[in-house]
Amino acid sequence: MTISPDSIVFWQWGIFSLNATIVLTWLVMGLLTLFSWLVTRRLSADTELSRWQNLLEVLITGINDQIRQVSHQEPGRYLPFVGTLFLYIAMSNLLNVVPGYMAPTGSLSTTTALAICVFIAVPIYGVAAEGSVNYLKHYVKPSWLMLPFNIIGEISRTIALAVRLYGNIMSGTVIVAILLSLTPYLFPVVMQLLGLLTGMIQAYIFAVLAMVYIASATSVHQHTAQSKS
Amino acid sequence: MAIDWITVSAQIVNFLILVWLLKRFLYQPIIRAMERREQRIGQRLNEAQERESQAEEKAHHYQEMRDEMVRREEEFLTKARAEAEEKKKQLLDEARGEVIERRDRWQQEIQQEKAEFLENLQRETVVIVQSIARNALEELADTSLEERIVHIFLNHLKSLDKEASKALSDSDEPVLITTSGELEPTLRGRLTRAVHEQIAEEIAVNYVHSPELICGVELSHGGRRLSWNLADFSDELNTRIEEAFSPTKPAKDEE
Repeated sequence: MTISPDSIVFWQWGIFSLNATIVLTWLVMGLLTLFSWLVTRRLSADTELSRWQNLLEVLITGINDQIRQVSHQEPGRYLPFVGTLFLYIAMSNLLNVVPGYMAPTGSLSTTTALAICVFIAVPIYGVAAEGSVNYLKHYVKPSWLMLPFNIIGEISRTIALAVRLYGNIMSGTVIVAILLSLTPYLFPVVMQLLGLLTGMIQAYIFAVLAMVYIASATSVHQHTAQSKS
Repeated sequence: MAIDWITVSAQIVNFLILVWLLKRFLYQPIIRAMERREQRIGQRLNEAQERESQAEEKAHHYQEMRDEMVRREEEFLTKARAEAEEKKKQLLDEARGEVIERRDRWQQEIQQEKAEFLENLQRETVVIVQSIARNALEELADTSLEERIVHIFLNHLKSLDKEASKALSDSDEPVLITTSGELEPTLRGRLTRAVHEQIAEEIAVNYVHSPELICGVELSHGGRRLSWNLADFSDELNTRIEEAFSPTKPAKDEE
């Protein structure tokens, strides 16, 4: 039984291999981009709009609202990063219903890559919001003694982020595969549906947690500014 | 559960590309479209608000105009009613005046016609009475009317008391005897002699003929007069006829 799409290799040249994870990621990227392009090439700024545009507007407004709720900040600059995290993970997980498809998020490589992106994005947003010195001071608060713990915290939460998503999606796939061999008819369908729900929830959790980490890095500045004013 | 770091790095790159692609094809266009829509809706709301305020202003203006029109209408109606009332009163007064005038004129005409009728009747009556009397006298007594009149007048003259005779003889002026018709010379002679006997000897006596004197003789001297004629009977006749034509007569009869 194939657990990770990493193990399906289509083409290899030295250490570089073109495995299913990358190909399926490209597929998801292509679908998302193609769909976005098809809808947004004829956008209406009037009150009458197409149902697809309406869907995208509802989606983006929803993401914006979530960002606003979590960060208490304007969502403008966080939307591309957090929104893409959510859309990519959600789309990857949704496509699990397609026979033969394996979610790229079921690969630890993919979830690690996404977690690393969050790990890097947090200080970038933090430094952009309050400057490098102020951001770095955040690690030695309330005292220098906390520095190693803060660093361990940063790394462990990144690993948790990666493993949580990987574990959920991979377990779903494995459970369905096991159930298919035990009760091949009705029960796997129910589990598949459950898998869709889990996939959506995981996408939401991953995006919201990423936003929480970013918000915690940027809100220090906000709090200081507010207390000063 | 192995991590392929090549795949990880490829996925990081893929993710960043996806971020750029979605930013380019999804977030920016959609957000711009939403902003444009918000802008348009805001603009439309502003326009609607402006139009509403304009409409309210116009409505207020029209309401004021309507009130003004109603007020003018009321004013006009009140004025028209007053004028109509005044005109009616004026017309009624005019009509009443005209009716009174016509009634007066009509009554005047009736009075005039009545007077003319009575006058004609009197004249005709006198002529007829005179003619009847004359014929009767001629046939019954073989004498003329004038002769009988002179005879009666002479009786009156002779029956005057002394005071009356003296009063008649106070003046030296000639005696004027007026008769209704032309007298025969014998009758004139009798009258002249009677005057000389009763009033004064040798006094001049003049004779005048006047148709106004109805069938009679009148003697005037020194502002005094002595007469006998049918005018008295005629007056009596007139009084009777007037009483007969009087509108109050039947009412009196009813009483």
